[in-house]
Amino acid sequence: MIKILIVDDEKPICDLIDLNLSASGYRCTCVQNGLDAIDLIEKENYDLILLDIMLPGADGYDVMEYVRPLKIPVIFITAKHEVRDRVKGLKLGADDYLVKPFDVVELVARVEAVLRRYNKADKMLTVGNIVVDVEARRVLKNGKEIVLTNKEFGLLVLFMQNKNVALFREALYEKVWGDEYFGDSRTLDLHVQRLRKKLGWEQNLVAVYKVGYRLEVTE
Amino acid sequence: MKFSLKLLLWTIIVMAIALGFSGFYFVNYVFETSLAREARQALDENSILCFAFETAALNVPAKYDVLQDNTVEQIAANLERSGQSAGRMLRLSDEEKRALYASDGFEPDDELLGQIDEATKAYRTICLNGYYYIQTGSAVNALDRVLYLETLRDVSEVFNERALGFRVYRRVTVVMLVFGTVIMHLIASWLTKPIRLLTRATKRMAEGDYDYRARQISSDELGQLTLDFNQMAEALEENINKLEDEIQAKEDFVGAFAHELKTPLTAIIGYADMLRSRKLDEEKSFLSANYIYTEGKRLETMSIRLLDIMVTRHGQAQFQDVTAESLFLYLKDMFKTNEDMESVYSMEFVYSYDKAMVWAESSMIITVLINLLDNACKASEPGAVIEVSGKKEEAGYRFSVKDHGIGMPKSEIQKITKAFYMIDKSRSRSHNGAGLGLSLCTEILSLHNSSLEVESILGEGTKVSFVLEDRMEAGNEEIHH
Repeated sequence: MIKILIVDDEKPICDLIDLNLSASGYRCTCVQNGLDAIDLIEKENYDLILLDIMLPGADGYDVMEYVRPLKIPVIFITAKHEVRDRVKGLKLGADDYLVKPFDVVELVARVEAVLRRYNKADKMLTVGNIVVDVEARRVLKNGKEIVLTNKEFGLLVLFMQNKNVALFREALYEKVWGDEYFGDSRTLDLHVQRLRKKLGWEQNLVAVYKVGYRLEVTE
Repeated sequence: MKFSLKLLLWTIIVMAIALGFSGFYFVNYVFETSLAREARQALDENSILCFAFETAALNVPAKYDVLQDNTVEQIAANLERSGQSAGRMLRLSDEEKRALYASDGFEPDDELLGQIDEATKAYRTICLNGYYYIQTGSAVNALDRVLYLETLRDVSEVFNERALGFRVYRRVTVVMLVFGTVIMHLIASWLTKPIRLLTRATKRMAEGDYDYRARQISSDELGQLTLDFNQMAEALEENINKLEDEIQAKEDFVGAFAHELKTPLTAIIGYADMLRSRKLDEEKSFLSANYIYTEGKRLETMSIRLLDIMVTRHGQAQFQDVTAESLFLYLKDMFKTNEDMESVYSMEFVYSYDKAMVWAESSMIITVLINLLDNACKASEPGAVIEVSGKKEEAGYRFSVKDHGIGMPKSEIQKITKAFYMIDKSRSRSHNGAGLGLSLCTEILSLHNSSLEVESILGEGTKVSFVLEDRMEAGNEEIHH
């Protein structure tokens, strides 16, 4: 199981990240100041650190200096929006940057992306009889390969990463198509329908009224 | 064109004209004096020759009553020879002004001859073949004849001297001008040095080097200008520094504000997002809703505090005489020593105050005192003593709040009045603080022309105080009289 350390002095934010990442199958530890964070990093092996910059004790940059030689991936979380702050963080060796306030979907996606870069993410996503090899871009149903288009594949990965989460049409569209969503496109619905048919997921991919779609999985 | 160059150029022009005129006048004066002297001598010579001629004519044997033309020639030739060494040249003409005798080289025209008669002498300066002569002419009465004697005197020397004079003077003038130029250049650049220094200072300042000052090197008008300029620069620098500080403070405020705003917003948005998109169990739903509520409350507290600060900053306070006693009674009522240790304010409050009348807006001062007491409580352990006192001083009436709590290091004291600054965030948060209390106090006190004074020792406690104008004496006097 992948272990993630969350360092933020605001307990509500810590809990928020914890709840969401735990739901996506990560094991999270929260800590509220920089010095405690360094203690924990020393004792335990973490696969990823989510690091706030404004921290009591040692601030995010100080913690980063300590973490860098350990080659643990780090995502900065901060309210600072300025380019120079972001550049400073990235120069120090952060892998990504998350600016408050952030969407939960964005948080999960960035965590996945960074973990994949370090080959730490599960390359195989499994839901029921469907297995997705993210690296190889292969989808297997009962061991038999299913051919998907690029967009369909992107949608499928997004659903599988956010099991039981209602994904908003805007979010889906922006993540997969990379465009601004204008609310009049039937493209998304068409692709979801194609996915259902190809995978036999008529019951699993549920339309959520006025929101979007949700992949329902009974564990 | 540079000022020093202009100064130099004009000086040289004036110097050249002055030298030129004076030189020309001087050389010419010398020349004219010499020429006049020569003319005088020429005329004298002419007279002597006339006399000599007349004497010679008298000595002619008397057998002739009439002076023969050839006799005249003889005498003239004698006269010419007698003056050979002086290079004398003469011409004798008869009554009809026909030349009877002329020396070799005596070739001027007859203009002068036409001008003279028996009674007049005349002379003129002429130029013949590159030589200058003074030609004189006069009538000679010899026996019964009237003859005309003309002489030529070589004065080329005088003219050559004049030419030489001009040449020498030109050379001297050029040398003088060269020296003058060098000296004037030095003087001009020395005189304009303050201007150059000022220019450099202006440029440096324009480039943003506001603490650069022009060096003052003279005490004349330019020195005064430098002095004034530096004073202006001083004032300017002060203003700019003030502006920069203000901008920095504003930036800090905006940064801190963004952070304080974004944190609760992230929580609210995040939990709301979870509630609408995930199927959460009851416990998690409650946790999320509770976070949304508490973080919303935090935003509310912050916005109210900010509004207070803004209203204070722009509002007009209603000042009036307030008895210190009424302020302390209000506080006593609010912060009672509570036996119940579970209560928020479970400290022991000790009040001591002199009677006084202060000039203040009472609700604002109460806000300040409540904030100070609140902070003292946050810094103290339950049951600790908090001293609240009012004391008359020379400067006015001093309110102070002293706790025996955790205190703070010196480095923190400067920062605590900054907006959103919290020494211990988690502790402040649990007391629902927004980090704006002391900011508000500072604003209110600056409205009262006062400020917070903080003394603190880490681990021993903190004393915060401020002074208000004491109106007691004035009040007493009014009562007594």
